[in-house]
Amino acid sequence: MGQLCSRHQYYKNEDSEENAQAAEIERRIEQETKAEKHIQKLLLLGAGESGKSTIFKQIKLLFQTGFDEAELRSYIPVIHANVYQTIKLLHDGSKEMAQNESDSSKYVLSTENKEIGDKLSEIGSRLNYPCLTKEIALEIETLWNDSAIQETYARANELQVPHSGYYFMENLHRIADANYVPTKEDVLYARVRTTGVVEIQFSPVGENKKSGEVYKLFDVGGQRNERRKWIHLFEGVTAVIFCAAISDYDQMLYEDEKKNRMMEAKELFEWVLKQSCFEKTSFLLFLNKFDLFEKKILKVPLNVCDWFKDYQSVSTGKQEIEHAYEFVKKKFEELYYQSTAPDCVDRLFKIYRTTALDQKLVNKTFKLVDETLRRRTLFEAGLL
Amino acid sequence: MPMYQSKLDFGGGGQVLDLETAVKDGILGGGGGVTATGASAGKLDLKNMIEELDSFEVPSVFICPISLEPMQDPVTLCTGQTYERSNILKWLSLGHYTCPTTMQELWDDSITPNKTLSHLIYSWFSQKYLAMKKRSEDVQGRVLEILETLKKVKGQARLQALKKLRQIVVSHSSSKKAMVDNGGIALVGSLLGPFTSHSVGSEAVAILVNLSLDSESKSNLMQPAKISLMVDMLNEGSIETKINCTKLIGNLMEGNDFESEVVSSLSLFVGLLRLVRDRRNPNGLQPGLELLKAISSHESVRSSIVSIGAVNQLVDLLSNMNPECLESALAILHNLSSLPEGLSALKDCPKTVPNLVKLLMRVTENCTQLALSILWAVCRLSPEECAPAAVEAGLAAKLLLVIQSGCNPTLKQQSAELLKLCSLNYTATIFISKCKLTRTL
Repeated sequence: MGQLCSRHQYYKNEDSEENAQAAEIERRIEQETKAEKHIQKLLLLGAGESGKSTIFKQIKLLFQTGFDEAELRSYIPVIHANVYQTIKLLHDGSKEMAQNESDSSKYVLSTENKEIGDKLSEIGSRLNYPCLTKEIALEIETLWNDSAIQETYARANELQVPHSGYYFMENLHRIADANYVPTKEDVLYARVRTTGVVEIQFSPVGENKKSGEVYKLFDVGGQRNERRKWIHLFEGVTAVIFCAAISDYDQMLYEDEKKNRMMEAKELFEWVLKQSCFEKTSFLLFLNKFDLFEKKILKVPLNVCDWFKDYQSVSTGKQEIEHAYEFVKKKFEELYYQSTAPDCVDRLFKIYRTTALDQKLVNKTFKLVDETLRRRTLFEAGLL
Repeated sequence: MPMYQSKLDFGGGGQVLDLETAVKDGILGGGGGVTATGASAGKLDLKNMIEELDSFEVPSVFICPISLEPMQDPVTLCTGQTYERSNILKWLSLGHYTCPTTMQELWDDSITPNKTLSHLIYSWFSQKYLAMKKRSEDVQGRVLEILETLKKVKGQARLQALKKLRQIVVSHSSSKKAMVDNGGIALVGSLLGPFTSHSVGSEAVAILVNLSLDSESKSNLMQPAKISLMVDMLNEGSIETKINCTKLIGNLMEGNDFESEVVSSLSLFVGLLRLVRDRRNPNGLQPGLELLKAISSHESVRSSIVSIGAVNQLVDLLSNMNPECLESALAILHNLSSLPEGLSALKDCPKTVPNLVKLLMRVTENCTQLALSILWAVCRLSPEECAPAAVEAGLAAKLLLVIQSGCNPTLKQQSAELLKLCSLNYTATIFISKCKLTRTL
């Protein structure tokens, strides 16, 4: 007791400004802790390149102030890097196929482009890429138009060429312009492997402006080496948004070229479902990249993926796409129920079909997600 | 039978037409429609009107005391009491010579048509009928208006329009025809899709579940995306929404040859089981079981149903069900028992045998049949385990009852075979002791 009193005396005698500051900090901490309780934590999980960061960017564009010019400009190096990476991958890929394939001649570069090809391949292997100038852009375009490269691109799923590569190739001149400022769409396509954790806080606005819900969205890296960082985020999560790129059924992992991406997504989903900290967490499964799926399904059958080997196509065109999608959806559903312990069956589970690059669709999807989560809160409070 | 109200009781005894009603409605004086043809419609057939206005409160003085139906041809006896002509003639032809209500002997056998009352009855019914027709037209008009609105608006306005439409469809049967005739079903159905919000979806389903759907509408609504939405709402909605979705899916399945794949979603089965298990909302039990029964009748989906633990959950519920639900539940279990994994799930569940034995000869014959079939299959699968358990639960006594009862021969035969199977493990004396009824049924 005596000590306490004397400490009190001590504080009184010391700098009262410091006391005020300390009290202010205490008050802030208390406020934030209270506010924290009303914030719903959403976690974006999924394998590499499943679209998590794109969803993250979309939410930023939809519900925050979007990207200002400085932020947009900050993506220029990334976009240039994507261009260099893409053309290098295609060039090296064509060389490999020219050596190994039986019909190798179609993968051989025309003689006049060989020099450009080697030069660009060298640039692409550097740690720091040069700025994309008009001259280099012209060279890249020439190479891109070479039939060997186009043939290689047709087999892009065997290489690790990101889909955005095509988009940037089509917009090469705009990107290479000296006064280039990336558009929102460019930013959405820009591909950089997320490492660590990124978070934003937002409040969705609907027709009734006072929607009231505050969400905190966390984005993580999806590659295998990033996953050990996930566990730190697992506590107190309202909902896990698991992204699975359904168009990846014929592609291999970046970090392990022998592993099929869909199988990886399957195993990862299973693992996440079984985590004990998610016993009461809602699961929202985003079956992403539907636009690519639509196109691919008519050319590449689902059975190439081991998980879907029992698929039988029934028709063609739109009906076939729907049928294939339903099949994939059902597989995920089965997986969910197999991996869910009986006492967890009451947690919320919903599947959404998404195309992360389409802002309107993401907006619509998120409105549904918001409605579902709000109903869930009411339900858990016993009001429904 | 139409209800009649007895209102004012004047000193003279008997019942009088409610004067207020008579004057207000203009039947008596006030220049109101005393004559039948006062209205703009042509000659209306009294018999038809009486039929269509069945639910109305007909004034008591219009009712024949013999048949308690409105009189179409009222005649008066010498006692002053009025009856329907055909009824009083029948009474008199049976040899009675009294007035049925006053019990007085008739001093005069004349039967006088009561023209005044006849007019009144006709006018009253005409007025009511025309008013009902007008209201019905109003309803049709309102339905059309809302359908037009729905084609144009979105968001909150759409939701409000659907809510109004739902109210009308539920309370006015004439609106249903208006919906069907004006493409209402297709319109409301088109609102269901992968991006439909829960609020809009639940209103749309609440409307559709009240309408009778032709096979084209059913095919349109059976699309995977729409069924997905209904399944989601079944899992997340209020009890009313859950029941509506259940009933609607059931309606869509009726009579259609569809790909059973469409209703084979695991989420649907999980949702239905949850509905059926919900003690706080017992009115979900019957629709849930009915739908599960309809789905389980398709072979291809049975293994999915078993995989989510349906067997255990259903067996658990058997103890406290009413007869209708019991039949459905037993039918589901019977369907599932045709599958090896279903049968082994039944065998593994400890409550199967006791619960089923309890049901024998206790409810309907159908229930006994189904329960017996299942027990038969289970005991045949693993006689060493199940037969003794069944016997301990009192199966033998029940089987004897079945054999001795008036049930159909197949049932008796099955019982005899099962009894034989069970007796294999016991000596004769011990088994006979097990056959005694230890408790009253």
